[in-house]
Amino acid sequence: MSKLTPKLQEEQDRVTALLIEMFPGNRIDRDKNAEPVMWLNTASELLLAVKDLRIVTGLQMDRLSDLTAYDNVDGSDGPKRFVLVYQLYSMRFHTRVRLKYSVSENESVPTLTSFWRAANWLEREVFDMFGIPFTDHPDLRRIMMDERFVGHPLRKEYPLKDRQPFPDSLPVRIAARTPLSSGQE
Amino acid sequence: MSKDGNAGFIPTRLDYAVKWAQKNSLWPFTFGTSCCGIEMMSTLSGTYDLARFGAEVVRFSPRQADMLIVAGTITTKMSPVLRQVYDQMLEPKWVIAMGACSSSGGIFDTYSVLQGIDEIMPVDIYVPGCPPIPEGLIHAILKLQGVVESGGKRPEMHRLTREEANNAMSFRKDSDASLFDDSKPLKGQLK
Amino acid sequence: MIKDIRTTLLDERKSLSDFYNPQVLINMGPSHPAMHGTLRVMCRVNGEVVEDATCEIGYLHRAIEKLAEHKTYHQWIVYTDRLNYCSALTNNIGYVMTVEDLLGIEVTERCQWIRVICMELARIIDHLICIAINALDMGALTCFWYLYHWREEAYSIIEAMCGMRLTTSYARIGGMSYDLPDNFDSMMTKFLKGLPKSIDDVEKLLSANRIWVDRTKDVGTLTKQEVMDFGLTGPVARASGVDFDLRRDRPYYTYPELDFEVVCGVNGDVYDRYLVRMEEIRQSAHILAQCVKKLPKGPLWVDDRLIKIPAKQDVYNNMETLIHHFKIFMDGIHVGPGEAYNAVESPNGELAFYIVSRGGTKPWRTRIKPPSLLLFQSFEYSMKGAKIPDAVSILGSLNIIAGELDR
Repeated sequence: MSKLTPKLQEEQDRVTALLIEMFPGNRIDRDKNAEPVMWLNTASELLLAVKDLRIVTGLQMDRLSDLTAYDNVDGSDGPKRFVLVYQLYSMRFHTRVRLKYSVSENESVPTLTSFWRAANWLEREVFDMFGIPFTDHPDLRRIMMDERFVGHPLRKEYPLKDRQPFPDSLPVRIAARTPLSSGQE
Repeated sequence: MSKDGNAGFIPTRLDYAVKWAQKNSLWPFTFGTSCCGIEMMSTLSGTYDLARFGAEVVRFSPRQADMLIVAGTITTKMSPVLRQVYDQMLEPKWVIAMGACSSSGGIFDTYSVLQGIDEIMPVDIYVPGCPPIPEGLIHAILKLQGVVESGGKRPEMHRLTREEANNAMSFRKDSDASLFDDSKPLKGQLK
Repeated sequence: MIKDIRTTLLDERKSLSDFYNPQVLINMGPSHPAMHGTLRVMCRVNGEVVEDATCEIGYLHRAIEKLAEHKTYHQWIVYTDRLNYCSALTNNIGYVMTVEDLLGIEVTERCQWIRVICMELARIIDHLICIAINALDMGALTCFWYLYHWREEAYSIIEAMCGMRLTTSYARIGGMSYDLPDNFDSMMTKFLKGLPKSIDDVEKLLSANRIWVDRTKDVGTLTKQEVMDFGLTGPVARASGVDFDLRRDRPYYTYPELDFEVVCGVNGDVYDRYLVRMEEIRQSAHILAQCVKKLPKGPLWVDDRLIKIPAKQDVYNNMETLIHHFKIFMDGIHVGPGEAYNAVESPNGELAFYIVSRGGTKPWRTRIKPPSLLLFQSFEYSMKGAKIPDAVSILGSLNIIAGELDR
């Protein structure tokens, strides 16, 4: 195991304690590396938590390290179909926090593109692979697969070998979209 | 050709000369998409020096190339592009499928990967390996020189039209594949 | 009369400006020499200036994440090679590190040192390729020959280590597939002696070269704020002055014991990225020299019968070991439910693996967080206002590897 240095471990524990203090109503787990995993219940809570985590002095989770999702079709992590996972990283304290937010099928999630531009493509990928729509996303369309592709490959019911070839490639869309700097200026 | 217009043995000699010239100046179009592309660049670099075999003039326009080296995984999204590149090349043209992915799909038997480029276009030489070492590619080019020189048998798909190739690309879609079942292959009949 | 001539001239100029100011759409890629094979950009150009650009990716989407759900933990190691094929060793180690976190084991000291050696060797190769291709795209062919020679030397070391040049699959869960070869010290010493000389030569050719400086200075500049906004890491972020390196800030394995510097740039343009990469090659060579000196003797594998792969000699001569070997590879290693997220400093930036296990021998979900995805996202932004030839130099400096971009 990649053992943390004592100083970093201390920081990580401090961050976890602070999280528990700040969000008493939320379930906070520790994963195998003892990193905090916080579960969020509503969309507004997600936005508020992200906003707070960025600003609060002791946390400063200012970099979105990763944004992904996983299929929860077996119901191990609650009744809802998908779990969205946000990995946040503090460039000052070098600690990580993971946020989780469950969504049902076809339930849309608020976009984080207003906080980080990095969220743009990561959210498009989640939309492509799992079919989770994001509200107010500047350019929500498929990113990996062809736009004519049917289904969402990383859902568990999608067969591994179900190929959908197309005889030609689509031209890239350029005119019908908002300017590139529409995220955060 | 003699003065009275009698061709004599010269046409075959010319043929021979043309083949000799063709085989020693195979200009490649390098369609490198992934790992094999890196090994292909090694082959072109100083240590392996493909220039010894007259095949170092890498052309990035298909119209100037004789030999298409497909190095790397070809996905279903990429396959129309590859087919278009092949169609744009002028005769005579030869194709090398470098590596397991372009020969057969390799370890990527998934929803997005074309299972071998010979489903959409004819292939003269297959190079095994994941990726093949540069010596493997050099060997393939030497073999291809033999094909060029002897005028050997070309692959059957050589005269496939565009429509036929497109039809060959579309697999029958099997919709009732059961959940989590990866033992059941879906690569079904060709249309 | 004079007024008439003026209006005609003005009208003429207007139509001329229309002629010289067309809103032309240019499609670059996916089969374009400067687009690294699989990337596609659609630009709207005004004259030679790019006004708007859209990137299209997915031309090398090979469903590696989906395959992970269908393969055992060991079987999937080969797929990590094909993520960033320029530095396959880093991918191998990053992945097995995460699985080891899930299992809750710690590898032996010798194994840790070997892994650090692997990662630094991979970093050198990756940076060499990046600079060579970046220079090649701009027409500097000589550097390509110089740098590729040392890359080949590095490959012969890797080949001696694990038997393969590019797709190494060197790491195993709980150890490494082979120990280092006997003549490793001498090979490495020869490599570390020759490499800096070549780097110096390339630096002489490029750093003060008028054409190179003109084409890279103040091209594709990203400020600190933009880097944070796009979530960039690695040499690109460090060139913009973001002082962040996981090797120092969140150290893993034996990095705390090693002496190295995190190289930072100031301007964040292509030239600074090139300088950062050059200096990082030197730092990595410095780390390798320390590793060769400090490499301890001792066991390579963890002392856990359920994880350790039995030695080939025992497999062939011992019935029980043969069955055990068969069980490990046909059944796979059983991992309890839980999840782990682990990041390593790959040559391009933060490469992270996130594995959710529901118990059993296959993961429920494996997520790869590649640095290239976020780097390529910033490309759309840096292209705005740049010229078409600038786009080529910016793309080369970002070092996008399609394998990990599309997965």
